[in-house]
Amino acid sequence: MKTWLLAMLLFPLAGALVQPLCGRLFGLGSGNPADRGHWAAIVACAAVALSLCAAVAVLVLAQGRTSALALCPWFGMDGFTAQASLLYDPLAGFMALTVTFVSLLIHIYSLAFMRGEQGLGRYFCFLNLFVFFMLLITLADDLLFLFLGWEGVGFCSYSLIGFWHRKTANVVAGGKAFIFTRLGDLGLVAALAVMAGLWGASSLSLVAAKAASLDPGTAQALGFLILLAALGKSAQLPFSAWLPDAMAGPTPVSALIHAATMVTAGAYLLLRLSPLLAQAPLVLEATALVGAVTALYGALAALAQKDIKRVLAYSTISQVGYMFLAAGCGDVPGCLFQLMSHAFFKSLLFMVAGCLIRAGGGEHDIFKLGRMASRLRRELPGVCILFACGAVSLAALPFTAGYFSKGRILADVLGLPGWPYAVSAVLALAAAFVTAVYAVRLVYVVLAGQARESAPASVRGADVAGINRMAGVLWPLAILSLGFGFVNPPHFLGLTAWLDAALANAPSLPAPALSFRFEPALAAFEAALALAGLWLARRLYGPGQRGTPARTGLDGTGMLASGFGLDALYVTVVAGPYRRLALLVASSLDQTVLDGGVTKGAGAFLAFSKAVSGLARGRITDSLAALLAAMAAALIYLASRLG
Amino acid sequence: MTIYGALFYLLAGITLVAAVLAVTRKDPMHAVLYLVAALLATAAIFLLLGAPLPAILQVVIYAGAIMVFYLFIIMLLGPRGEGGSIAPRRAALPGLLAGLFLAAAWIVFDGDPGVKTVLSASQASAAALGAFLVKTYWPVLEAVSILLFAALVAALVLCRPRRPHPGGQAGRT
Amino acid sequence: MIVPLEHVLILAAALFALGAACAVMRRGVIMILVGVEIMFTGAAVAFIGAALRWQSLDGQAAVILAMGLAAAELAFGLALLVHARRRGGSLKSDRYTGLGGRT
Repeated sequence: MKTWLLAMLLFPLAGALVQPLCGRLFGLGSGNPADRGHWAAIVACAAVALSLCAAVAVLVLAQGRTSALALCPWFGMDGFTAQASLLYDPLAGFMALTVTFVSLLIHIYSLAFMRGEQGLGRYFCFLNLFVFFMLLITLADDLLFLFLGWEGVGFCSYSLIGFWHRKTANVVAGGKAFIFTRLGDLGLVAALAVMAGLWGASSLSLVAAKAASLDPGTAQALGFLILLAALGKSAQLPFSAWLPDAMAGPTPVSALIHAATMVTAGAYLLLRLSPLLAQAPLVLEATALVGAVTALYGALAALAQKDIKRVLAYSTISQVGYMFLAAGCGDVPGCLFQLMSHAFFKSLLFMVAGCLIRAGGGEHDIFKLGRMASRLRRELPGVCILFACGAVSLAALPFTAGYFSKGRILADVLGLPGWPYAVSAVLALAAAFVTAVYAVRLVYVVLAGQARESAPASVRGADVAGINRMAGVLWPLAILSLGFGFVNPPHFLGLTAWLDAALANAPSLPAPALSFRFEPALAAFEAALALAGLWLARRLYGPGQRGTPARTGLDGTGMLASGFGLDALYVTVVAGPYRRLALLVASSLDQTVLDGGVTKGAGAFLAFSKAVSGLARGRITDSLAALLAAMAAALIYLASRLG
Repeated sequence: MTIYGALFYLLAGITLVAAVLAVTRKDPMHAVLYLVAALLATAAIFLLLGAPLPAILQVVIYAGAIMVFYLFIIMLLGPRGEGGSIAPRRAALPGLLAGLFLAAAWIVFDGDPGVKTVLSASQASAAALGAFLVKTYWPVLEAVSILLFAALVAALVLCRPRRPHPGGQAGRT
Repeated sequence: MIVPLEHVLILAAALFALGAACAVMRRGVIMILVGVEIMFTGAAVAFIGAALRWQSLDGQAAVILAMGLAAAELAFGLALLVHARRRGGSLKSDRYTGLGGRT
């Protein structure tokens, strides 16, 4: 079992290191440089496929047991040791399975999507490396080891967002992502430091063992620090401003990193540390509240976007908010359920968006894409169906995966006492409604146009086949988006909840027992919300409603579209003063004090040298004065010795 | 305080005053004349301290010959304002150094007990001094005479009457 | 009984200091030479005092020799001064900077 775990971890790493070389080797025969990239891509996909096999094998072999695995001691110094150690429990097993499965599909999709691009070796290297680091986060026991993976995914994210680095805006977006997540990482480092001070090491097993013995203040502090780190990595408020800009990267990157895996790492961390959070109820309430507020915020902002990827980015922010809400309710299986179904339908949506963008010749604007709707429906029917599948799951229309996962979370939050949970419940319900509206809006705007519109003839025939091939790999995701809900249905339906059973001995608060008779009512209410959203979107954007976007102010400009001005707020409050401070330091401190000091020092030396050189003018008076001074000095010395 | 002591202090005072005046005069002629006065007072001190021959030689050679020669040169060299006046700023550093020198010397003298002995009056006769000089210091006497001869030759060579320089005009040095 | 040797030595030191100050202070070559003469006088007073203290004629012999030296030195100096003056030089010591540096 140890071998399989190690294999799962190391295959992507090996892939990252080896595939550029393989690409060169295998592509040597052909004169076409694109072939090199193609071979590199194939090796990278193979690495992830092997990792997926290993993940499945470990899950089967483990049979629900928890096992800790110490790989090697890392470093130790006075009062602190760190190990490279792994903790494999069912939670980690399912997460690893999700990560490797979705990564494999995205790798295969990238094969077709990025065909012919320059720098494919670099792309797949970072993609594989990302999978390695994400698996590290998934499996790590020692928190410093986890932090290694944490930072690693941040770095890979930065590199991949700025993949098309010739355009500076992309690099800036990558840098923004890196800096924002770094802010959150302060929390993780601080928590590590506190744990190191308390216990001399920091690992999940230690936390599980000793969390109950912490005093409440320390537990709360640690909890808030971990929450801070999770907020940064998962692009929740107030750290959400980096995710919309991160859409500057290639679409597969957005699908993998910013939909399915990295942004969920924050929620996953909270799940892994649930023994600690169980001791800090204040932190749990705060998590739930932040999650709910972010869910509503993301949904409202997504409603007003006109760039298809930005819609999906804000949608991710919103859906991860639901995961935080679940974590704040203490429901580990529920959060994991939302995580997995979100991974499936969101990555599906992103990759379909990539196909649509490719079909539109690089067009991101949904209204402009909508003008080609009839051609899209005619020539790319598969893509349209896939898009619809993802969107209905996002909107939580009844019996889709999104419906069941969201319903589970709403049931949790409604069943808990206390005003934070009540407020969160209201916000979450509102967000559910808005989610349905924007999801259906997206489908209608892009796909429901009529043939009478003047369409840019951009769907070329040759591309159609390629795009259909690209979309071919997405069908498993569509099936999962629709059917995954039945893996963990609510109790009242009388079906087995597989996920709950598998995670039965995962440390979590006792499942909030929403009374049995309320569950059907809630499910019906949720379905009603989704259908109401669908109706509203159809009213505003359905077929025959062409003129409305500008009227309702949801055309990509204005307060909603800019995310309620969060970016501008950051610029005014943080970036602006920092920049002014930097300029001040550069001009006044650096130039005046440091440079000026050095110059003045040099000037002083010059003046001194000039003064001394004045003695060497050859004047007799100077020589005589020197003699007299020497005599006086000698006599003074003599006087001091004798007197 | 004996009469000799009082005399010594009086003569010492005259010497110092004359020397100070010599140092601070603008006109070199006046300065040299004050110097002569100082030298004469010094000769009297020599006499007081029991050295009649050096006293007379001081008057005859030093004050008489050397200082007169000095005066001739001054008169030869031209306008007398060239002595240069003293700005107080220029005098500060030398004054300070001289003061330090004097103070240090005083402290050194104070520290040595051998110096406190009061001198007893006695005379060294001229004949005794002359015999001593020739018997013991005759090489030095010869050397000084060679030196004086060299000075004589130098003065003759350097101050030959001006004649046109083969190289052209006499330039500033 | 005259005075303690210390007082004679102080007179000598004072004359010496005065002469040195004069040599440093004054700009004219003539006045510098005056300072040198005063210094010689100071030395001579010290010699005579010491000769009386230790009842030795060496001091007085030294004074006579010092006089000879002073004469030679003055002769040299003034001859040089006359020579320089005749060739258009100045009587100010500041003008003679041949031993000076580049600046």
